[in-house]
Amino acid sequence: MKKYLIIFTVAFLFASCSDDEKYERLNQDPKNPTQVSEDFLFTSATVSLGDFLASPNVNINIFRFVSQYLTATTYVDEPNYDLTNRNIPQSQWSEIYRDVLLDLDDAKGYINDNADLSQSEKDARIGQIEIIQVYAWQVLVDTFGDIPYNEALQAETNTLPAYEDDAVIYEDLIERLQAASTLLNSGQGFIGPDVIFGGDMSKWNKFNNSLQLRLAMRISDSNPSLSKSAAEDAASKGVFTGNQDNAIIAYQSSPPNTNPLWEDLVQSGRSDYVAANTIVDIMNDLEDPRRTYYFDQNLGDGVYEGGIYGSQNPFSGSTHIGEAFRDPTHAGIYLDFAEVSFHLATASDLNYNVFGDTETHYNNAITASMNYAGIDDQDAIDTYLSKPNVSYDPANSNALIGTQFWIAMFDNPLEGWSTWRKYDEPSLNLPGSTENPVPVRYTYPVNEQNLNEANYNEASQAIGGDTQQTPIFWDVN
Amino acid sequence: MKQNANWIFLFVFALISHVGLAQNQEVTGTVVDNTGLPLPGVNVIEKGTTNGTQTNFDGEFTLQVDNDAILVFSYLGMKEQQVTVGNKTSLDITLQPDTGQLDEVVVTALGIKREKKSLGYATQEVGGNEVSDVATQNFTNALSGKVAGLKVKSSGTMGGSTNVVIRGNASLTGSNQALFVVDGTPIINQNSNTNAQRTGGGGYDYGNAAADINPDDIESINVLRGAAASALYGERAANGVIIIETKRGQKNKGIGVTVRSSVMFSNADDETLPNYQQKYGAGYGPYYQSEDGYFNLSDVNGDGVLDETTPFTEDASFGAAFDPDRMIYQWNSIYPELDTYQQASPWDAAEYTPNDIWETGYTMINSVALDGGTDKSTYRVGFTNLDQEGALPNSSITRNNIKFSASHDLTDKFSVNSNFNFIKTDGKGRYGTGYDALNVMQSFRQWNQSNVDLYKQRDAYFATGSNITWNPNGPNNLTPIYTDNPYFTRYENYQTDTRNRYFGNINLNYQISDVFSVLGRFTFDTYSELQEERKNVGSVGVSGYSRFDNRVAEYNYDLILNFNKDLTDDLNLDGNVGFNLRRNEQSSIRASTNGGLNAPDFFALSNSKDPLNPPSEYEADQMLDGIFARASLGYLNTYYMEATMRRDRSSTLPSSDNTYYYPSISTSVLLSNIIDKDWLSFAKFRANYAQVGSGTDPYRVFNTYLVSAPFDGQGVASLNGTLNNLELKSETSKSFEVGLESSFIDNRLSVDFSYYNTRTEDQITPVPVSNATGYTRKLLNAGEIENKGFEVLLNGKPLQMDDFNWNVSVNWSRNRNEVISLTDGVDNLQLASLQGGVSINAAPGQPYGAIRGTDYVYDDNGSKIVNSDGYYETTDSNNNVIGNIQPDWNAGITNSFRYKNFRFSFLIDIQEGGDIFSLDTWYGMATGVYDVTAGINDLGNEMRAPLTGGADSGGIILPGVNADGSQNETRVPFDTYANPYGYARDANKGHVYDASYIKLRELSLTYDFSDKILEKLPFTNASISFIGRNLWIIDKNLPYSDPEAGLSSGNVQGYQSGAYPAMKQYGLNLRFNF
Repeated sequence: MKKYLIIFTVAFLFASCSDDEKYERLNQDPKNPTQVSEDFLFTSATVSLGDFLASPNVNINIFRFVSQYLTATTYVDEPNYDLTNRNIPQSQWSEIYRDVLLDLDDAKGYINDNADLSQSEKDARIGQIEIIQVYAWQVLVDTFGDIPYNEALQAETNTLPAYEDDAVIYEDLIERLQAASTLLNSGQGFIGPDVIFGGDMSKWNKFNNSLQLRLAMRISDSNPSLSKSAAEDAASKGVFTGNQDNAIIAYQSSPPNTNPLWEDLVQSGRSDYVAANTIVDIMNDLEDPRRTYYFDQNLGDGVYEGGIYGSQNPFSGSTHIGEAFRDPTHAGIYLDFAEVSFHLATASDLNYNVFGDTETHYNNAITASMNYAGIDDQDAIDTYLSKPNVSYDPANSNALIGTQFWIAMFDNPLEGWSTWRKYDEPSLNLPGSTENPVPVRYTYPVNEQNLNEANYNEASQAIGGDTQQTPIFWDVN
Repeated sequence: MKQNANWIFLFVFALISHVGLAQNQEVTGTVVDNTGLPLPGVNVIEKGTTNGTQTNFDGEFTLQVDNDAILVFSYLGMKEQQVTVGNKTSLDITLQPDTGQLDEVVVTALGIKREKKSLGYATQEVGGNEVSDVATQNFTNALSGKVAGLKVKSSGTMGGSTNVVIRGNASLTGSNQALFVVDGTPIINQNSNTNAQRTGGGGYDYGNAAADINPDDIESINVLRGAAASALYGERAANGVIIIETKRGQKNKGIGVTVRSSVMFSNADDETLPNYQQKYGAGYGPYYQSEDGYFNLSDVNGDGVLDETTPFTEDASFGAAFDPDRMIYQWNSIYPELDTYQQASPWDAAEYTPNDIWETGYTMINSVALDGGTDKSTYRVGFTNLDQEGALPNSSITRNNIKFSASHDLTDKFSVNSNFNFIKTDGKGRYGTGYDALNVMQSFRQWNQSNVDLYKQRDAYFATGSNITWNPNGPNNLTPIYTDNPYFTRYENYQTDTRNRYFGNINLNYQISDVFSVLGRFTFDTYSELQEERKNVGSVGVSGYSRFDNRVAEYNYDLILNFNKDLTDDLNLDGNVGFNLRRNEQSSIRASTNGGLNAPDFFALSNSKDPLNPPSEYEADQMLDGIFARASLGYLNTYYMEATMRRDRSSTLPSSDNTYYYPSISTSVLLSNIIDKDWLSFAKFRANYAQVGSGTDPYRVFNTYLVSAPFDGQGVASLNGTLNNLELKSETSKSFEVGLESSFIDNRLSVDFSYYNTRTEDQITPVPVSNATGYTRKLLNAGEIENKGFEVLLNGKPLQMDDFNWNVSVNWSRNRNEVISLTDGVDNLQLASLQGGVSINAAPGQPYGAIRGTDYVYDDNGSKIVNSDGYYETTDSNNNVIGNIQPDWNAGITNSFRYKNFRFSFLIDIQEGGDIFSLDTWYGMATGVYDVTAGINDLGNEMRAPLTGGADSGGIILPGVNADGSQNETRVPFDTYANPYGYARDANKGHVYDASYIKLRELSLTYDFSDKILEKLPFTNASISFIGRNLWIIDKNLPYSDPEAGLSSGNVQGYQSGAYPAMKQYGLNLRFNF
C-alpha cells in the first residue's frame, strides 16, 4: 500500500516540475522570427509605399478616380466619392502607419545596433529611411490634415496618440529633409535593399532635395517665407535634372511583386475601369500626343472617348487605359523630373531665387512627361508646346501650369489630386450618379472615432470639421 | 458482402451450438414489472458465463443452465435482480422500478463515475439512439433541440461545420466551442477553415473535426453545462463539456452482432431558396447602346448590321421587360462551338431557374458491430461506412470508421482497458462559400440574369466541356468577367480533401485497497489532412491550385489516485488527486501556384505559371501541466458537498507568470429524503461556484515579424499587426449556479430547473488600437463578459397504458449575454468586418455579437425619415447598432408515442430572436433578382413602370415621414438598380432579419419486429424506421433562406452571403441484432 503511494507521489512531483526554459521555448515561433535585418524592413516599407501609390484598387487607393483620370463601368460608388462603404481612409491610414512608418522606425533601431556598420554607413541608411518616412508623413498630411505625429508609433506606451497641427508637421518634415541631406552625404547607404536607386547616393540626394521642393511649393500660399527659403535651398543643393533621376520602383513580372495596376486591370480578368471623360476631353482638345501612351485605341485609331465620370459606362464603348499600364513590370512613380520641373516653374513664377525661368521649367516639365510617355519626336513636342492653350503665357500661368501638371501626373494620381487642389485647375466634373463635389480631403478613418475618440474630436474641431470639404492647411487659395 | 454475411451467420450459429452443449437443466419463467405487466426484452444471463437470452413479448423466457446457476435479470429502468436457480425449473420474477435518478451513475469530468444524486451541478444525458437513429454526416447536428442550454447551428453546406456552444459566448475572441470527450479522450474539434472563409471572403467549409465521431458507436452523451461540472478538465472546460461514452462489450455475454443500414435522401427546401422575378431580363437599367437603352449593339450574325445583344457583362435583372416576340442575341449566340451560334432567341424568362440546380442527395450508412465478453474480458469491434452524395452536382463525402475496444482483468485488482479508432474521411466538391465565384449561390442569390436558363447552361457545359458562361466580357471577348458557368464551377473548380485520424486511449486501473485505487491513462488524438483546391484555366480571375497539409495532435497523460471510504455509517468521503499533462502539436503548410496555371486540367504546384512564392507555414507545440484534487463528502446519503482545486501551468503564458490556481465548490441536498410526501418521488437542490483559469494560444508573448516573398531577391519583412505582450496573465471565468431537480407522482412528471451566472474576466484579447500606433491590435488582459440564464427541463408521461405510451420532453433555455467591459479607451471590439459595410462586434453594455452598419434616420416617433426625393435618409456612418446575433431563447419539444410495436416521435426545435444580416438581399434587391423587385405598386401598376405622375405611374411610395413630420407621399422610381430596396440606396438595417424559427427538426416512426416474427428469423432484435429531418420549417421571418445557414462554426455568426438552402432529409433505417 505504502509503496504505491510513494510511486504515485513521485510521479505527481515529476509532473509538476518542467523547467522554465522549455515552457518559454515552446512559445517562440519557429516560423516567424523575433529579429530581422534592417535590410528586410527597408525593402518592405519602400515597396509597401510604392504599392500604395500605384494601386487602383477600390479598397486601397481611389485617387485615380478622385483626380478624374479613370472612372468605373458598373460599380460607381467610389467615383462618386463614397469613402465609407469600403473604409478607404482606414486602409490608407493603417497601411502607411503600420507597413511604412513603423517598419522604418524599427529599422532605425537595428541600424544603430548593427556593429558591422560604420557610423557613416549608419548615417546614410538613416538618411534614406528619413526620406521615405517624410514622404509617407506628407502623404498622410496631404490626405487628412492634422494627424498623430510625435505621439504616433508608440503602441507600448501610448495607444491614444494626440493629433498635431498639419502646418507644424510640414515645417518639421522640411527640417528633417534638410538634416537628412547631411546624413546622405556621409557615406554609402543601403544598396541591394534599395529598390529605387540601388544605392546611388547622388540620386538619393537629388530625391531628398526634390521632395523638399515638393513640400516647399505645397505651402507657397500658406507659408510663403518658409516656402521660398526651403525651395531655394532645395534648388541650390540640386534636384532631379532629367528622367534618369526619377524616383521610381521597377516592378517584377511575377506576383506578388508586380505593379498593382496589373493585378486589378489584367490579373483580375475584370473590366471595371475606363478612362474618364474629364481627362480624355481635355487631352482631345489639346490633341495631346500622350494619349497614345495613356489610353488604348480600342475604339479605333486616334479615337478616344472617356466614360462619363461617375456614371455607369459600357466597357466596350469607352476608351481603356493604355497598354503600357497593363504590363506587370510597369514602373511605379514616387517622384519624377516632370513634377520637379513644374514645381520649379511655379517657384520661378513666384520670383523665388531658383535657377532658370518659368517658361523653361514649364517646357522642360512637359517635355519630360512626353519623353517618359515614349514620345521622343522633338517636332511633335514643339508643336504641342506652341499650341495656344499650351504655350506658356505669364498672364495665364496658374491655369497653364495647373492643367499641364495635372495631365502629367496621370500615373501619380495622389500628386495629381494635390495639384488640382493647389492650382484649382483644370475644372473637374461632378460625378454623374450623385453630383457630389470633388473631395479636397479624406475623412478620418471610422475606427479613429472609436479607438481614439477624444483626440479625434479635438482634431476634427481643429481642422474645421471632419468632412471631405475641409481644405488641407496649404489649400488656401 | 453477401459472403461476409454468410460467414458471420456460420460463426454465430457455431458458437450458439457450442454453448448449448454445456447445459443440463431447463428453466422457464415470466418477468413482470411491479404492476404485473409482462416485460419483453429483459436480459436473462447465467452469472459468470456467456449463456443468456431475452424475454419474449409476453415476458417469458426459456434457458438451459447449470444446476448451481445464478440468473441475472436486467432491464433498462428497472433494478437488476439475481436469483439462484437451485432445483427450480420455473421462475416468476417481478422487477422493481429503478426509482428515478436515485441510483443512476453518470460519467463526469475526467471519466470519474458519480451517482447522479450526489452532483451539485446540472448535467443532461442523451441516449446514443437519439443521435444514431438519424443518419447524419455530423452527429453534433442531431443534438439540436435536445439539450437545454446547448446551441447547435449547422452552417448548411455538405459536410460543413457545426457551431456547438453551451450557455453562450464566454470568450471575446477565443474559441467558444464545447469540448468533446470520447471515452476519456479529449477530441480535437478545430475547424481548419481560413479566416477569409469565416468572414465571408470565400473558401470551403471543411467542417469541424468532431464530426469524425461515429454516431453508431455512441452509447450515451452527457452534457456538462457549467464550470463546476467541468473544472477538472482545466481551461477548455469553461465552454462546457460533452462527454461521450461509446458502446462496449459486456462481460459474460455471447457474441452479439448488430447490423444497421440506413439511407437518407435530401432535397433543398423551397422555402429557403429565392423566388425569382420572371418579368424583366438582364441589365442594371437603360444604360446601354440600343434605342431603348436595354441592349448592347454588335454584329453577331455577321450580316454587317448591328444586332441587339444581351448586356453580357451586367450581372443583374433590371433590364428590358420580357417579350417573347423580341429576338435578342443572347449568350448562346456568341460561342462558335454551340449549335445556336449566331442565332437570336426570344427575350423570355428562364424556364429553369438556378433553383433547378438542386438534385436529390443521399447519405447511406452501413455498420456492423460485434461484441461480447467472458468473465474477465470484454471486446467490441465496429465498422461503419458512410457514403454521402451532396445535392449539388459533383459533391460527395465518404467516411469509414473502425473502432476496437477491449477490457481485461489481469488480476482481481488490476485491469486494463483500451479503445482505438481509425477514421478516414474523403471529401470532394464541397460547396464554395461566401462572396466568391466558387460559390454558385453568390450569383444565384445576388448577381443573376433572369433570362439565363440553367439547363441551357448545363447542356452547353456538357456539350463543350468549356466555360460557356452567360457572363463574358463581350461578344468579341469571351473570357468570363464575374461569373462562370455554374456547372463549370462544380465540375472543373472542385476541391478534394482527405483526413486520416487516429484516436483512443489506454487505461490501467489498480485497486490498491478497499479505499484506494489508481488510474493511469494515456489518450491520443491525431490526424493529418490534405485539402486541395482547384480553379481550372478558363475561370473568372486567376486559375490555380493550392494544397494545405495539416497535422494536428493532442496527447494527455493522466495519473489519478481515487479514494472512497465510509468514515462512519452516515458519512462517506470520496475523492481524487492527480495530474494531467497535455501536449498539443500542430504543423501545417499551405502552398499555391502563382499567377495561374500553365496547362489546363493539370493540378500540381509544378504547373504554376510564375515561380512559386514561399508557402506559408505554421508550427506550434503547446504544453499544459495540471495537478488537481477533488474531495466529496456525503452525509446520510442526503447531504453532499464537493470541492475541487486545480493548478495549471501553460506554455502559452510568459514563463515568469504561467501558473494559476482555481477552485470549485458544489453542494446538493436530497430534499425528497427530508420531505416525505407521496406525490414527491424525488427532489434535489443543488448549488455551486467555480472558477476556471486559462492560458491562450501560442505566440502571443513575443513580437515577431512576418517574412514574405522576396522582392527582386531582397528579403522582405514587416512587423506583425498585433503587438504581443510580455506581461500576459491567465484569464479567469467565474460562475455560479443553482438548480432544483424534482419528480412527482411516481416519476410521471419531472422538472429540472437551473439558473447560472458566468463572468469571464481578464480575457486575453487582441484589443484594437488606433492604427496611428503602427499596430491594429494590442494583446491585453482586457474584457469581461457575463452570461446568465435559465434552463428548464420538463419530462412528462401523460399516458402510460398497456399498449400505449406517450412521453413528452421539453427543454427551454434563455441566455442573457452582456459584454461588461473592454479596456480603457476602447468602446467597441470588432470581431469581423464584413462585405456590405457591416461588422460583428462586442461592445460594453451590449450582448456579444452586435451587428453594426448604416441605419435609417428616425423621427421622435420612431418613423423613418425620407428626404425630399422620397428616399430614406440613411446614416453616414456604419457604426450604428442594427441588430444582435444572440437569440432570446431556444426550446425543444419531443413527443414520443409507443403503440404495441410501433414507436413514433417528433421533435420541434424553436429559436426566438437573434438577428441576421443578409448580403444576399442587400445585393439581390438592387440587381432585381427577387420577386418583390418586380411587384405591383399601390396604384395597381408595375413597380418598374416609369413615373408618370398619373394613375398609370410606376414606382413606389416608401412608408415614412418627411422632415417636417408629415406622411411621405413622394413616389420614387423602381426601374434601375439604384432602387430604394438594394445596396445603392437602402440602409444596412433594411437587410437585418429576425432569425427566429420553428422547425420540425426530427420525425421518426419505428416498428420493432415482434417475437413471433423474430422466431422465424435469425435475429434477436430487429427494427425498421422511417426517419425525417428538417422536413418542415413551420415558421420563420427571413425570406428566401434558412435562418440557421451561416458561413462556418466560430464567433462570426449572424451573416449570410451566398447562403445554401436547408435540406429536407428523409429515409429508412434498419437495425438487426443476432
